Parts: sequence; structure tokens; C-alpha cells
Amino acid sequence: MAAILEIEGVTKSFGGVRAVDGASFSLAAPGIYGLIGPNGAGKTTLFDVICGRQFADAGSVRLAGGRIDGLRVHQRARRGIARTFQECRVLAEETCLDNLLFAAQDKQLSRELLRMLRRACPQPGIVEEADRLLDLVGLRRLRAEPAGNLSYGQRRLLEIVASLIGRPRLLLLDEPAAGVNPALLDVLRDCLRRVFTERQIVLLIVEHNMEFIMSLASHILVMHQGRVLEQGPPAAIQASRRVIDAYLG
Amino acid sequence: MRGRAGAVRPATGMAFAAVLYLLAPVFAGSPYVLFALTLTLCYAIPAVALNLLLGYTGLVSLGHMGFAGVGAYVTALLMKNAAVPFAPALAAGTLAAGVVGALVGIPCLRLRSHFFIIVTLAVGLVLFLLFNNLDWLTGGAAGLPGVPRPHPINLGFAVVDPRRPVGFYLVAATLFLLVFAVQYTLVHSDFGRSLAAIRQDETLAASRGVDVFAHKLAVFALSAALAGLGGGLLIDFLRAAAPQSFGFLEDINLVLIVIVGGAGSLFGPLLGALLFIALPETLRIADTYRMVLFGAALLALALSAPRGLSGLAAAAFRKLRPQASA
Repeated sequence: MAAILEIEGVTKSFGGVRAVDGASFSLAAPGIYGLIGPNGAGKTTLFDVICGRQFADAGSVRLAGGRIDGLRVHQRARRGIARTFQECRVLAEETCLDNLLFAAQDKQLSRELLRMLRRACPQPGIVEEADRLLDLVGLRRLRAEPAGNLSYGQRRLLEIVASLIGRPRLLLLDEPAAGVNPALLDVLRDCLRRVFTERQIVLLIVEHNMEFIMSLASHILVMHQGRVLEQGPPAAIQASRRVIDAYLG
Repeated sequence: MRGRAGAVRPATGMAFAAVLYLLAPVFAGSPYVLFALTLTLCYAIPAVALNLLLGYTGLVSLGHMGFAGVGAYVTALLMKNAAVPFAPALAAGTLAAGVVGALVGIPCLRLRSHFFIIVTLAVGLVLFLLFNNLDWLTGGAAGLPGVPRPHPINLGFAVVDPRRPVGFYLVAATLFLLVFAVQYTLVHSDFGRSLAAIRQDETLAASRGVDVFAHKLAVFALSAALAGLGGGLLIDFLRAAAPQSFGFLEDINLVLIVIVGGAGSLFGPLLGALLFIALPETLRIADTYRMVLFGAALLALALSAPRGLSGLAAAAFRKLRPQASA
């Protein structure tokens, strides 16, 4: 069986800077994967290449065996790539519930227009599913509240469950712990663990908070100077001489 | 719950339609009031069209009366020169404006917001120049006078004669209600929700699977078509197509109608049109003073009511019924 996500020889330059320089890795099985590395290692660029915000200069990206590197962001999203943003993005004017319902909606333009003519009702059971996911992160009581009124940490949790309702195969999280207070950090960790147990998908998490990622991920990838320097379970990574050199050197 | 954007229920819609139609017998004896109301509806239609872009999708088009002009001239030419009846001529005008809108949208909608605004401004000016200078087709600055009014329509129980003020008002009211229904359906559809997501955060919308460009193009073409419908109705009402009706000042006027009325609200465009068309028309304020007064009104509104007249009305309504807001 093909790996869920397979990156091969991805290169991306901005002017004279090689942000990603031949990165390759393969995530064969569902799991929680951490992607770490010093500043400028190319993590965010690699993320953008995976989800389609940037196109690689060379190399390939495969999702469940199919090449997706030529596809645009929305096409990749429809194939099962979901992501959350470092700056945390939700639809501020919509309620929490509507944020989830929108994420679940089929957004193919022609079908949307057809549904407009037929006045079709929403997918059966989707409101229940949305409520269940809101429950999972303790936001059920705020379901009718506009997302713009939530605290930063709550918005993070909302963003995560909203990306899940579309049943992605791969969820990319860009620094989910950034700016979240320590108390909520435990909720977040707990939430991501439950998400994984329930969905059995690939969670790929870029993170700077070492304590957070080492206690959450089962497998860590370390990037340095645009390549994957090392990968393995957290304990092995923390003991690795090369990783320590990369961070300190 | 879903569809927070508008609390208009079917019953409210029916009541709204009834009020609009009932104005005809009420003012049957005062053709001047009917004239002002009909003119208001002629502008309220392109205002609704622009509201779909400005209020719901977050796209600013500064040349929208240009598309109204395309609809207007196509309708006028077909009726005047080819003796096509009103309904098919208007349909053709609507379609033509939609096609021009799509052709403009394909290259322009890829631009970022502020560049897009500049380009729509240019498109409006270019269309105006075409109307003003293609003498052999549009009659140039003199325009196309003598556009015939529609023939009487026999409804079985009554005959509506659009050559009389009451009759044309009823035609205008029907077309406005049609456009209003389009707006309502769109806003409360999944398509409308995707547009709202684009307005709030394009990057997020794309990452959730919205084809931002295709959605923008669809709504832009639809909006241009509806503007064309309004333009066709307007010139048939005035019985003449003139380039000044679709020039830069009219473009700005339309944007003001939408913003002051309340962008992103269902009734905003109509409120704005009443304020900008019916009021100065009935008060007979000279054109020069109009802009001064509206400048002041706009400033006051921007400071005190950022969501426009309809936002102000909604806030007042909520204050009257504080506990019923859930």
C-alpha cells in the first residue's frame, strides 16, 4: 500500500535562498508526527508546498500514491488535506457551529449552484457531528457564539475541529501551541490525542514548543537547512548528537 | 443558527411584496410619486447586484453602472431597431451584461483587491467612452431616444399597461422582487456561504476547498447580469438610453447607495436607493447641492452607523425587543 504522504526531493528557492533543499520523507502509517527544526530550516515552506500555497521547484508530493504537486490549494483540500494556520484562522463573523458546517459543506461550484436551485437541505446528521466535535473540545455551549468572540485558545480548538469535520486523510498543524496559555495546552494535547484515536489519520505538526511536541508525537522529523536531518521516536531524537548540533551550531 | 445574515422569513417576504404592490393603488392618483418610486426601483436593482459583490463577497466594483449600460443599450437597440418585445429584449440585455461581466472578470479577478478596484474603475470608464463615442451604434452623446414602452400585459383578471405610470411601476416592482429573491436565495445557499467565507478570509476559504477564483467569477458575472437588467429597465422607463446615465458619477452614486443603505444586508440597497434617488427627486434638491449634502450624510453615517441604514434599523429593532434576540 502506498504511503499516506510521500515527499521526494522537494526543492524550493526564494531568490538566492534555498528554503527547502531536496527534502524527502514518507509517512506510511497513521500517527502523530512532529516536524521540528531551528528557525529557517524550511518547515513552513515545506508545509506550504504540501498544501499548495507554494509550488515546489523540483520534487514530488504524493497523497496516498497520487501526485498532488500540480494541484491548487482547494483541489488538494478536496482530496483530503486539511490544515490549520500559525496565525489561527476561523470565520470570525460566523458562529462556531456555522464554522463547522461550512467546513463540512461540499464546495464544488457547480453542485453549489444546483443545490441553490433545488433548495437542498444540509447533509443528514452533520449538525449532530458538528455538535459532537464541539463537545470534544468543550465548545458546545458556545456553538451559537460568533467565532470572533472566542478567546485565542478557543479559536485554535475551533479551527482544529473545523478542519476535521471534512474527514481529511492528512491534517497539517502549523504551530498549534503558539500563543496558547499553559492550562489550555493540556486541553489541546488531549484534544489532538483524542482526534488521532478516533480518526486514525496522519497528523503532521510543526512545533517550536519542544515539551509539547515531544510528549505528543510518536515520531519526530527534524529539518535542518532545507533537508530532513533525522527522524525517529522522540527519545532517540532528543539523544541525537546531530540534532543537538543543528540546534546549537 | 445558520443564515444569521438575514432574518427575513417567507412571511416577511410576502408582506414586503404586498407592500410594494399596494403602493401602486395607493399612489395611483399621484403619478409624480410613482415616477420617483419607479426610478428608485430601477436603481435598486443594480444596487442589489453590487451588494452581492460589495456586501456579501467583499469585492469592490467601481464600474458597475457600465454593466448596467451594456444591458441598457442592448435592450434599447433590440426594441428600437429590431422591434423586439420588451421581455426578450431585456433578457438579451441581461445576458449580454453577464457575458461582458464574465469577460472582464476572467483577467481581472486574479488581481489583488486594490488592483481589482482600480481595474473596475477603468472598465466603467471604458464602457462609458464606448457608449459616448460609438455614434453609429449607441447614438453617441445624444443617446438613443424613443425607446418604446412594453405592450399592455393581460393577466386575465386585469390588464397592466406599462405605458401608464401605475403599469410601469408594477413591472418595475415585479422585476425588483425577482432580483430580491435571487439575492435572498443566494445569501441563504451554500454558494452564498462560500462567498461569505471568501469575504472573511480568502486563504482560509481556499484551504477549506473553495475555488476562490471560480466562485468570484460566478458571482461577478451574475452581478453584472443583474445590473444589466436594472439598466434595461431604467432606459425603458426613461424611454431613452444616454451615456450620462452610466458614467462615473453614477458609478460612485451606486456604491454610495449600497454603502449608505447597508452593504451585506438584504434591504440595504433598497433603503439606499430610496435615500439617494427618491428623496432628492421628491425634494427637488438641485444636483450640485446633492453631492454636498450626501457627503455630509455619508460622513455622519460612517461615524455613527458603520453598517449603514439597515444596520442602524436592525440595532434599533434589537433595542425594542431585547429578549427576543436569541
